[in-house]
Amino acid sequence: MFVTNIIKEFYDCISGKRVLVLVHSDLDAICSGKILQALFRADHILYTLCPVLTLSDLLTAVKSHKEQISSIILINCGGTLDLVEFLELPPHIKVFLADTHRPLHVCNIYSDDQIRILGQLDDDEEVPAFGDVFRDDETSESEEEDEDGVSRISESRLEKQRERRLWEQKRNKLLFDYSQFSYFAGSTATLMFELAWKLSKDTSDLLWLAIVSLSGEQLCSIREQHKLALCAADLNTHVARLHHTNHTDTTEPAADTITFQKDVQLSLYRHWSLVESMRHSPLTATSLKLWTHKGEKKMFELLAELGLPLTECRQLFCGMDVKLRSELPTLLEGKADKYGLGGLVTPSFSRSHVFHSRCSASDFAHAALALLEPPSTDGLSMSHAFLDASDCLNGSTVFAKGIASARKQLEAVYRQMQTFLDMNQVISAGPFLYATVLQGSPLAAFMSGPHVLGALGRFTLGAHVSASRNKKARSLPLVLTTPDSSQPQDWCLVCGIPPLADTSHRNFFGKAFEQAVSKTQSRAQLEFFDSHVIRLHVEDRSKFFDALISLLS
Amino acid sequence: MANFYTSYYPNYFSVEDILASQDRVPCKFEVTVKGLGYLDASSGNEDILPGSKIELPCWMARPLCSSKRLPIVSAQLPVNYRERYREILSADACVVDLQKLGPHFYELGLHLLPITSAPDRPRLAALLTQVLRDRLRPIMDDAQHCSADETSQKIAKLDRLEIRLFRGGQESVRDRERWLDRTAHLLSMAPLLAASNARHKRKRQDS
Amino acid sequence: MLGDKAFSLIQELDRSQHGTLPPFNEDAVRQALEEIDSLFQQNVADINHLAEDDALVAGIHLRHAALERNKRCLLAYLYNRLERLRTMRWQLGSVLPSDVRTNLCEPELEWFAQYSSTVARYMRSLGDGQGLDLTVDLKPPKNLYIEVRCLQDYGEFELEEGEVVLLSKDSTHFLPMEHCQHLIRQGVLQHVK
Repeated sequence: MFVTNIIKEFYDCISGKRVLVLVHSDLDAICSGKILQALFRADHILYTLCPVLTLSDLLTAVKSHKEQISSIILINCGGTLDLVEFLELPPHIKVFLADTHRPLHVCNIYSDDQIRILGQLDDDEEVPAFGDVFRDDETSESEEEDEDGVSRISESRLEKQRERRLWEQKRNKLLFDYSQFSYFAGSTATLMFELAWKLSKDTSDLLWLAIVSLSGEQLCSIREQHKLALCAADLNTHVARLHHTNHTDTTEPAADTITFQKDVQLSLYRHWSLVESMRHSPLTATSLKLWTHKGEKKMFELLAELGLPLTECRQLFCGMDVKLRSELPTLLEGKADKYGLGGLVTPSFSRSHVFHSRCSASDFAHAALALLEPPSTDGLSMSHAFLDASDCLNGSTVFAKGIASARKQLEAVYRQMQTFLDMNQVISAGPFLYATVLQGSPLAAFMSGPHVLGALGRFTLGAHVSASRNKKARSLPLVLTTPDSSQPQDWCLVCGIPPLADTSHRNFFGKAFEQAVSKTQSRAQLEFFDSHVIRLHVEDRSKFFDALISLLS
Repeated sequence: MANFYTSYYPNYFSVEDILASQDRVPCKFEVTVKGLGYLDASSGNEDILPGSKIELPCWMARPLCSSKRLPIVSAQLPVNYRERYREILSADACVVDLQKLGPHFYELGLHLLPITSAPDRPRLAALLTQVLRDRLRPIMDDAQHCSADETSQKIAKLDRLEIRLFRGGQESVRDRERWLDRTAHLLSMAPLLAASNARHKRKRQDS
Repeated sequence: MLGDKAFSLIQELDRSQHGTLPPFNEDAVRQALEEIDSLFQQNVADINHLAEDDALVAGIHLRHAALERNKRCLLAYLYNRLERLRTMRWQLGSVLPSDVRTNLCEPELEWFAQYSSTVARYMRSLGDGQGLDLTVDLKPPKNLYIEVRCLQDYGEFELEEGEVVLLSKDSTHFLPMEHCQHLIRQGVLQHVK
């Protein structure tokens, strides 16, 4: 059931008891987890927090803690499953669910009291009505017997059975349509921040976490642009509200300010040189085709037109001339349209402390995402990476480490994309495009998790579309495989990216993979909460893809 | 002059003091010592003859020099405290490798004070204070500003007393950083366990 | 040279890492004691002959200095070991890890047991018989509840109110401070800001 009054039905219910918080290993969940932790610390609510990445992680965590806990909070995990059945929950345990993954499972929506969903459905989401999905059936097994002793089924029973069959067919079709596309709803971190606001415990630190989560969503392009813009505007009103009280005396610099202003959308440009940053950002790289020689020349032309000397652009951004640095957004905005770089300079959030340089929210998002999926050569466990990413959002030394990892990850993604395009490894397999990261290539170690795979896929798709002359390329989706970091010989990860022409950001690959697996009986583990990524056995790859081709054509 | 015969600094049980007083001092015996010829490895005598020069440890030389009636030995300063090194140290004390000259330069110098001849004493005392004063400022500077990797390099040329000062400086810098970071109040593992874990980790990394 | 055996004990202590205890070197202690004995016997013999031969005085002084030196080294060895043991009682608690116990000799173990019981008796007598555990709260506490991260798989841990917490690796918990202190000092949990 959906929770209408979040304080009365959620927060008051867990006060005074010990809670188990299970957090999915992604940026939004980490930010929401941190906001919740801050609230719990203020109210002395004892909690235990465990990170989960896969369905089996979730099951083990709940199983081991079941006896000691009476309330469980799930963040960004489990919304799409039938929780009561999957977790085998005893009736006294209450589950509070805050999940951005959609579509939510109907059993969770229509559960009586045990599963409580925090947050609301968007206006454009449609859920099948209760009557269409559930039905009270009389399961009486009495069969009429006539005096002969032969059991005869009466006409009314036949009628009832046929009606039941029709109802079931309609129900299955409804459920199939409902769960066909998987997509994301509003970020959980914003939800948690609003909870903090209603409890009057919001601070600019918590607001910053919500902002970083929003930037993460923008980086991974998981929601439509206009919705993200609306969320940004909402958060901006909170920024104005929180910082209004500080600026009573304008002569004193405020210790900590968050601003929402026009900024250059190049990845990590403040921590890198301008040239490198342009090369590794998807927007500039795909529009200018920077992996080709001509593209590089075009970039230098652009820089020359802007009046930025090449030596300055090649050195670290913080070493550039101060005047050039401050004028950069305006300069770029002027020339952006000529080079097809619309959207390069847009408003975004950044934060500065006194005597420290300004840092944008997307820097934090990049750093945390890079620490969340370290290269498999480091040998860190998922939970250790989770804790690293969580510490990185506090700032300080771990943040610097995160920026360094983010740079390496961006470079690896770019080089892999370049290999794909130079060697023409993006093959058209009919209804979709297909690319494989080769096992044994040094870059394969970096492609170890769902997020970086998604980033690589989107970058490759964008580059391919801009490089190819095929008009249809914009409407083709991409399927990407990479060797699984833990057992590269036997397993691989498969990730599906929706086509560029599809602006609704609804991903049908989740259902498609599921059906292909069941049709071919392949050995696969559909265990990620992001359903468009699965783990597949290497030997079943070819028959899986054949099935996928026939499904999608 | 106070009798330095039985003073122990800083206390009777101090390991540093015992180590410092083991260093050798060249001594010349003034009288015959019966039956202890085995102390002089080169001569085959059963007794030590007057005039024989033996290097005795400082703890043995001190009571023998300050015997009230007749000094049994007369001691000279070891090479490291004599003219040549005195000149080097007064020219530029900071570059001298004090660990090579004897890791207990200052403590041994203090032990030598009562056994040197009277005119030499003020010069030796002045030498010790001068050297420490000259070397102190670079040590303080290094302790406050050097990173963990450079520490072993910086320590290599320091005397043991200076190493204690250096470590003290590093500790205080670390405490200040923790206080600035607001992590000073965090409870931590027992220091002994932390040190033993660090050792095990280093051993595992080396193997 | 006289006094070398006893000095080797002190060198052993110096070489060992600060705070740890090397195994008790019974042989060296015994040899040092024998050396003291032989020096003493020689001195006694010489004193008896002093009336005849005046020149024996120097030898007596020398041997006496060596005797005092041996005594000092032995006592310093024993004393410093006891000091380290005492630090261990305050940092590691009244049960020593087995690798430390193997390095101690019998009298040291006895001393440790008696010291522990003395400390415990004293702590019990504080606060009008109510008792006060002095080994906790070595830093002034700032919060009632603290956030800790689990560094190893410890298993189930029971709080005083009867609540059971499952401590698995890399999980984060928010628990009352008094109950976690002892696990933090052991290194199972890590206090985070």
